[in-house]
Amino acid sequence: MDFTLNSDQSAIADALDKLAAQFTTVPTEFHGFALVGEELERELEAGQYFDIAAIPELGTLAAALAVERLARLPCTAEIALSMLLRPQLDIELPRPFALVENGRPGRFLVGAGTVIVIDGENIGIAHPAPDEVAPVESLYAYPMGRLTGRPAVRPLAADEAATVRTWLRVACAAEIAGLLQAAIDATVEHLGVRKQFGRPLGTFQALRHRMAECAVLAGGVRWLALKAAWTGDAGDAALAALHAQDSATRVIYDVHQMMGAMGMTLEMSLHLWTYRMKALLSELGGRGGQARAVAAYCFP
Amino acid sequence: MDFDWNTEQQDFRSTVRAFLEANLPDNWEELAHGPGSKAQTLFSREFCGALADAGLLVPHWPARWGGRDADPWIAFILAEEMWAAGEPRGGQYMNVNWIGPTLMRYGSQEQQARYIPPMARGASLWCQGFSEPEAGSDLASLRTRADRHGDVYRINGQKIWTSYAGHADTCFLLARTSPGKGGISIFLLPMDTPGITVRQIPSIIGEGDIHEVFFDDVEVPETARLGEEGQAWDIVRVSLSLERVGIPRFALASRMLHRAVALLKNADRFGPDAAAQAARAHAACEVSRLYSYSIIDQRVHGQATSPEASAGRFSTVNCERLVSEFVVEHVPDALAGGDPMLLAHHQRGIVAGIASGAAEIQLNLIATELLRLPREPR
Repeated sequence: MDFTLNSDQSAIADALDKLAAQFTTVPTEFHGFALVGEELERELEAGQYFDIAAIPELGTLAAALAVERLARLPCTAEIALSMLLRPQLDIELPRPFALVENGRPGRFLVGAGTVIVIDGENIGIAHPAPDEVAPVESLYAYPMGRLTGRPAVRPLAADEAATVRTWLRVACAAEIAGLLQAAIDATVEHLGVRKQFGRPLGTFQALRHRMAECAVLAGGVRWLALKAAWTGDAGDAALAALHAQDSATRVIYDVHQMMGAMGMTLEMSLHLWTYRMKALLSELGGRGGQARAVAAYCFP
Repeated sequence: MDFDWNTEQQDFRSTVRAFLEANLPDNWEELAHGPGSKAQTLFSREFCGALADAGLLVPHWPARWGGRDADPWIAFILAEEMWAAGEPRGGQYMNVNWIGPTLMRYGSQEQQARYIPPMARGASLWCQGFSEPEAGSDLASLRTRADRHGDVYRINGQKIWTSYAGHADTCFLLARTSPGKGGISIFLLPMDTPGITVRQIPSIIGEGDIHEVFFDDVEVPETARLGEEGQAWDIVRVSLSLERVGIPRFALASRMLHRAVALLKNADRFGPDAAAQAARAHAACEVSRLYSYSIIDQRVHGQATSPEASAGRFSTVNCERLVSEFVVEHVPDALAGGDPMLLAHHQRGIVAGIASGAAEIQLNLIATELLRLPREPR
């Protein structure tokens, strides 16, 4: 048990910090919902960051740390499934990855090399042609798409499907961990400078306590996500995803309340994190689905 | 970073479990109804003596004080296993966690020689004379006075909600030697000193757990003072940082959650609603566990206690709360004669958010020190 980064983990964390530093600002002309980080994705490809889970010195824990770190950026790219799920599959599959659950719109579907298709209890893999997908306008701060055709879906065996579910949960939790932290950071900054009744909002105990509770939740999500990434255990993954979706549900509400009308504006950018989390709240059956999985794996 | 226990840690946990298996009596579940009870206090003296003989009471203490300089992970594994078993060390956990280490750091040679060896043998029980009727969370406003008269102090005042005072042999007492926050001093006070009156307060948390302690012209020599006059705040800050992560409440909460689920499953009553609630309580226990580990890790690496300790404390309050709520809703008979362990856990769980700094105080600390939000005006 050692919660301090080792030299390899520190090196990759430092490299990611350096890379991420180029993408921390939102272009002034951007007033949209999903800020797609095409350049970020190119940099990650060029640096072979999508493969760090396969490097023995780094592994899945370093990949989860990377997902968490990069999720804090205002821009988004398909990172989590490529870094965490893709290395768990026996065959080499082209990225970007997308997830389509029960026919609903999915993140990064347009341009996806591989699509995980969940239909009830069944999980399969598809590689849709460009004319089988279409973009969808949405409130979510990810580029969303919908399957318009019927691509061939290769069903996965039960053990493969279980692996996919586990790592989808780890990816979801790791990404939410980063999104929570970024949303909290932005809100804390606002509470420190925004004055009402003659003093900063952050001096009011009603808000301080709520933010503190949000911080406790976010820290807990991070620890559970990292542990699940280390163990790869189905129960740990379900636990992490449950706590992530639970915590995100609460924190999204709280940070928007605290940001007030300013947080409603697209120029404030809070939505770039909170409306990404909203897209993740329904994955794998949402909180009810995760709770059922926790009960099945942890209370057999 | 990794989440594996090394061989030494695994072996140590096995040793502790084997000790518990061999040394907890058959009626332990009935006995474990409150660490302040007479029955458990008597048992704990015997149990801690046996623990000490086995080298398992204070392994993390320096060798010169009866330990073997084991690292904080060993101390925490020990605490986890003890707490998960219902804390058979009773109130002596305080000696092991923070009173002993505080005396090692701040005590005079005489104080160390007098008090530390009995702790290391498992033969002493302390109480913590902190809270007063008008000084709970606002501890700095305490009024108990220690007035100096030549080379003695005369102590007058009252403490309240004092755990273990009914059976304790020594009190770690905070008293005012001059006005203001900087005017508080610590006294190591034998409880048989004339002028001390202890009254048990009937409570919902278990037999013999909390007390009022009155001090009427209690005279102690200057040598009973720990550290310098007015140094209490600095010492207590260090002591409480040891205390805050010292109790792995999640370990018992988690075990009680699994016990409650097992009862429900046996009765074929573990339906979807109970499962969802149990899942959340389990998540809360594991969050508390990992926060606690992160604080231990900081100690192992020689880092100062971070504001994360307060986050860990708050997460522990959450886990105690969710497990208690689960039991009340789904295994209500446990609180009505159905299960002594679940009952005892429920009684003590309420303490998590109140003792050693209320949960709301932790939230203040998190807001100021972790989030760096501006302070409230005073």
